[in-house]
Amino acid sequence: MHELSIAQSILKTVLAESAARQPARATKVGLRIGVMAGIDPQSLTFCFEALVKGTSLEPLELAIEPGRADELEFTYLELEEP
Amino acid sequence: MTRVPMEGKVLNENQLAANGLRAEFDRHGVFVLNLIGSPGCGKTALLERTLETYDPGRRVAVLTGDIQTDADAVRLARFGFPVRQITTAGACHLDARMVRRALEGWDLDAIDLLLLENVGNLVCPTSYDLGEAHKIVLLSVAEGEEKPLKYPGIFFKSSLMALTKIDLLPYVPFQPDIAEANARSVHPDIEIIRLSSALKTGLDGWLKWIERHMSAHV
Repeated sequence: MHELSIAQSILKTVLAESAARQPARATKVGLRIGVMAGIDPQSLTFCFEALVKGTSLEPLELAIEPGRADELEFTYLELEEP
Repeated sequence: MTRVPMEGKVLNENQLAANGLRAEFDRHGVFVLNLIGSPGCGKTALLERTLETYDPGRRVAVLTGDIQTDADAVRLARFGFPVRQITTAGACHLDARMVRRALEGWDLDAIDLLLLENVGNLVCPTSYDLGEAHKIVLLSVAEGEEKPLKYPGIFFKSSLMALTKIDLLPYVPFQPDIAEANARSVHPDIEIIRLSSALKTGLDGWLKWIERHMSAHV
């Protein structure tokens, strides 16, 4: 059960990326997760949503697609121009 | 809306700490093994058999993890090498920061081989890098042949599977060939050693495995 710390580090990266791309704001972050990565996508999504809820990051969506082996990689960031 | 590509691994806090540990181990020439397996699979017994073969000058140290008690450290300290217990007080795995704290005060230059005995668990330790050179998974014949399929992560990430307690084979329905085929279906390159700590069989292969990988690592 380490999905919470994974969710935290995803948000950290998203925050850094968004700061660099201001005034655009991030609305969706894409991830690729392999079946050997030891990450439960549902649990990760749950943790991610719990962390985002009620903060200025809202609405921010997590999109997970299946990856190879123990892959745990960022794939894309969706941004909205003001 | 625009979509920009983003690359790179998701690094959690543990991974950052583990990267630091690995660099430190490399700098001081410490070869580190992370032993993982279910409670009762024979991690401590294998470490006992290992330490008792080493001569007193051997620069080996052990960190052993459990949720409670220092029972394993007491068992392992009998051999005269530095041993410390990490009690996780509920956590089901060791993490890199626990290892870092437990090393406090030890001179890493005086250690060539560091053996980490993880908390008994086939799941969570899989995801926590401790800066080790290799993960080693122990599977006892008292468990089941299908464990590599049910818990594929640890068999995928381990360099070696030690099939332990083979002295019990006459008394259990366990079929070692099937267990090994299952492990290879998850991880084709996994090395496998059958052993019994109780009868001290197969230990030679285990000790040679350590030496071979240690010299390959330096």
